[in-house]
Amino acid sequence: MALAAVEGLTFSYPGANRPALDNVTLSVEPGEVVLLLGGSGSGKSTLLRALAGLVPHFHGGRFSGRVEVAGRATRSISPAELAGTVATVFQDPEDQIVLTRVLAEVTFGLENVGTPPARIVPRALDALREAGIAQLAERPLHEVSGGELQRVCLASALALEPELLLLDEPTSQLDPEGAEGLLELAVGRASAVVLSEQRPDRALEIATRVVFLDEGRVLLDAPIDEACDWLAHHRPAWIEPPRRAAGEVSAGDPACRLAGVSFAYEPGHNVVDALDLELRRGEIVVLAGPNGSGKTTIAKLAAGLLEPDSGVVERSGRASLLLQDPGRYVVRDRADAEVALGIRGDLDRARTALAAMGLADKASRHPRDLSSGERERLALASVLVTEPDLLVIDEPTRGVDPERKRELATALRSAAAVRATLVVTHDRAFAAEVADRVIDLGLVPEAAVA
Amino acid sequence: MRPAAALALLAAAVAAALLATHILSVAVLTVVLLVLCLRAPSERRWPYLVGTGISALALFVVTPFVETIGSHPIWTGPIVPVIGQLDVTREELASAALNALRLASVGLAFAAYALLLDHDRLLAAASFARRSVLAVALATRLLPTLERDAGGLVESLRGRGVEVTGARGRAALVSPLLSGSLERALNLAEAMEARGYGRAGRTSVPKPAWRTLDRLALAAAVVLVVVGALWL
Repeated sequence: MALAAVEGLTFSYPGANRPALDNVTLSVEPGEVVLLLGGSGSGKSTLLRALAGLVPHFHGGRFSGRVEVAGRATRSISPAELAGTVATVFQDPEDQIVLTRVLAEVTFGLENVGTPPARIVPRALDALREAGIAQLAERPLHEVSGGELQRVCLASALALEPELLLLDEPTSQLDPEGAEGLLELAVGRASAVVLSEQRPDRALEIATRVVFLDEGRVLLDAPIDEACDWLAHHRPAWIEPPRRAAGEVSAGDPACRLAGVSFAYEPGHNVVDALDLELRRGEIVVLAGPNGSGKTTIAKLAAGLLEPDSGVVERSGRASLLLQDPGRYVVRDRADAEVALGIRGDLDRARTALAAMGLADKASRHPRDLSSGERERLALASVLVTEPDLLVIDEPTRGVDPERKRELATALRSAAAVRATLVVTHDRAFAAEVADRVIDLGLVPEAAVA
Repeated sequence: MRPAAALALLAAAVAAALLATHILSVAVLTVVLLVLCLRAPSERRWPYLVGTGISALALFVVTPFVETIGSHPIWTGPIVPVIGQLDVTREELASAALNALRLASVGLAFAAYALLLDHDRLLAAASFARRSVLAVALATRLLPTLERDAGGLVESLRGRGVEVTGARGRAALVSPLLSGSLERALNLAEAMEARGYGRAGRTSVPKPAWRTLDRLALAAAVVLVVVGALWL
């Protein structure tokens, strides 16, 4: 008997003019690791929410068809009743943290599902141990890193010992090693796993089956080998090794130079130490390295958002910086007005920039109504439209599907001649597609510059 | 000390400050609470201290102009239509100082609660009204979250070459900050429901036994309220 079964599910969010899921049918058997692939807004997150019972109970909307998990129809029981049988790890760990300390956060779900009191703390500690963060049990959550926070969320889900584990892009904020560790940890701890990912390389290695969604419809539902063949023929960007985007230019004069730059948020703890870096027009430099290695700080120093404690930063011309998680920081109530903010309200230029990012039809939408991938592209349009001499972008591919990533790489390379570009990213495939030079802060200094 | 006992002491300090009628008594309570707040890390405590200080100062400045008490004028101003003659008396100043100190005590007690108490243990100790305690704990996190979001928003705009300056520029951030916090609240509510919040048959981590220090703190809280009402 299937652990989860979806039959003819069609669902539209309230006020939406097209369904987020359109006649979706699939089943999940015990022991399976089902990988959900598809572009931004294709319905992956909605399908995960339907399996958790959150669609339609939490979101409302029009729902037809049937979803059953462990033999229970999700229409007839609340998501809270399903908790324990199902556990979900959402995309953004900061938005799912309820309490203030790590151990209490993990015990929260166990208490809710009625775990015998004497078993609550031992099970929470076991889950933290499995997640490799037992030493953080008493740590305040505001003191743990983004990667650790994601592990806390996973431990909170694993502590429930769920039959079905739902993971919605759980590795989007992690470096490759952290992401690999987290996926390995998740698989095998639940009876079945349904995982949505935009960086499919690692996920394809652990999945037993792939479901590909497009505009809410299932285009493919096949075992892993068959799915890889299908992807190679129909969606090559999802499976091909990275190839360098076209647009070769030679490096010109420097747009930014950091000489002997050091910076510390707390006295005595340098995040950046005596850094020398030159960014030339025509060149795309990728800054890589594990979480916490100082990449974002360097990006802010280069763009002038931080002043160095020692050393010199010289810039010629205008610098623009796109920070991590830009979708959170929207100001205007229309996408075109949001983009026009940095160019004194020039809506024509803003709409051209939106079209270049594939968002021409979203110009009048509220930015908060866009999917996470669309918000990332909106934010990118907002900085590219300012035509900076130095463009600094921090994790631009988070939540962006491989096809859009390839377009983004092409856009960056084609405009590389007119500016210097510094890209901070964990995404090795994207780095390989855009970079003229990679600086890996996780390596020893001599090996760092490739 | 258990957070519940510490909370009882803070609540008693607030009650005593509101019941006391002598400026010196309230001033002492305010200073004690201020010293307590200074134990919190400086980067976290400043919004609370600045907010409390500004509110208390505003109350001190406004009170003499809206109260009409006392017969020892220090300053006599013009006659304003509707309000009448503006003046400041010694009694009004004393009343303003007392009320400002009371407000400062309330603000500092809240700051101590927000900055120094373990809200998780407080929530675990709540055997009734757990939903309300959780709502208060989540609301307490609103201020630092909004502060961080505001910083991120300003930084994000600076990265696009848009400087946020002046009161109007900052006021323009209020709406996006509020909509951002609403979105965050919705996401959190969804995550809580997915983790079984609100389901029947909830259990809780076994509570530690009350120790002598906790009992002493509770007794001290009761004494503080009585003393505040009768003698301070």
